[in-house]
Amino acid sequence: MLDLLTEELRERLAESEKEKRPVQQDPSTWPAQESIQMMGASATVTSTSPEQEIVESVESASPPLPGLEPGLPAEAAEPSHAARLMRRLALWLFVAVIAINIPFSSHGTTLATAMPDAASYIVRDGFVVKEEDDPEFYVYQDGHFRWISSLDAFEHYGYSWEDVHIVPDGYLDRYEIGTPIHVLLKCPESPHIYRLEEGKKRWIRDIDTFVAEGHEWDDVRFVSCHYLRQVPDGETIPSNAGTPPQP
Amino acid sequence: MNYLAIIETILRSRQRFFLEIRQGAELHAKIRAMLTSGIVFFALYGMVMGSTHSLWQALSSAVKLPLLFLATLVISLPTLYFFNLIFGSNQSLTQNFCLILTAITVTGVLLLSFAPIVMFFLLTTNNYQFFKLLNVGVFAVAGIVGVRFLSQGMRAVSTGGDEGAKARRNVVRLWILVYAFVGSQMAWTLRPFIGAPGLQFELFRQLGGNFYANIFASLGELFGFFIVG
Repeated sequence: MLDLLTEELRERLAESEKEKRPVQQDPSTWPAQESIQMMGASATVTSTSPEQEIVESVESASPPLPGLEPGLPAEAAEPSHAARLMRRLALWLFVAVIAINIPFSSHGTTLATAMPDAASYIVRDGFVVKEEDDPEFYVYQDGHFRWISSLDAFEHYGYSWEDVHIVPDGYLDRYEIGTPIHVLLKCPESPHIYRLEEGKKRWIRDIDTFVAEGHEWDDVRFVSCHYLRQVPDGETIPSNAGTPPQP
Repeated sequence: MNYLAIIETILRSRQRFFLEIRQGAELHAKIRAMLTSGIVFFALYGMVMGSTHSLWQALSSAVKLPLLFLATLVISLPTLYFFNLIFGSNQSLTQNFCLILTAITVTGVLLLSFAPIVMFFLLTTNNYQFFKLLNVGVFAVAGIVGVRFLSQGMRAVSTGGDEGAKARRNVVRLWILVYAFVGSQMAWTLRPFIGAPGLQFELFRQLGGNFYANIFASLGELFGFFIVG
């Protein structure tokens, strides 16, 4: 702002000095002025700023440069509106960009990001969503959204609340829904597979039950048998499968 | 030195400016003015682009956008210089650099002028693909005007005589295509500039795909043909 003010004062002083100065007939005595092209003249005075003068000799018979029109009219002194406007525009743009990036809520929302952009999310593997009125979480994997069946699964796969994007109701209607995601645990030394729910392991009786529940082998996580033994037992799958074996 | 006065001279009195380049008048001062102004203008526009994602993206784009244009210039400059030399031009490397920088500066000024419009859409639209394509359009318009300045400047500054003049004009046209091609790939390499919603801030995305396929996909999603995944 100080620079702007200084520049403005300097320009006004220069303009007022120009008005006070009498008209000079001898071009060589003119101080810093705009470029004046004189037909047949032996000297040309040009300047790109009030502080500079470039004196050149131009042959009166020199042919016009290609791409330039001959007989260019003399350029009258013009105020530097454009330079001033560029400076002000740049300054105000900078201020505006800073302003729209200042958070105005405790969630860190800024003006620039306040507009909900659910319609323009990039859907990629690992993209976690929750519809506004639906308590269930879904994650996008291999071309479809999969329901995350439990908080255990949500935490087990390393998701956090910051990863969840709230989308409008009906957002998932245009996508395929895949098999749910559960936490399936198995230790290398044991053939038994368990599903982790609410901190308890639920033994899945056999492969047919495993498939019927919609599980996939890729969802099985291998952990140590020692860890599995420490997890309390929950209801078996199916519920009448008897006493669950220990890993 | 008043850098913006030099920029204004480019816009208002381009013939005089090209004359001064042809005569080699204060080329280094001009280059300094154009570099400084260009970097500031591109940085401001980059901040506007990146603000749609986060402050970090805004700062990142403020650095990457000037880098994009200057790196593309440095990579493409030798081609223009040596081909011009082969076809009879006697412009120095500094004059060539000054001319191309003129075009880039004009592009920067136009981007600055478009920035309020882009900011308006940033604040009022919620469509990432639309915003991306809007920026591509803005860059295309600013770039076209910039290369027109370059073409005029090359014609005005050329002192190689009539021999090879037509060839030199063709060289410039071809070079503009090369510059656009290198620039678009450089932009793809340096991405993201806007930042996809739903993705965390990253300084650089993984390489893969290309600029043209991505724009085609964005057009397809904008018009409802398919969903970008």
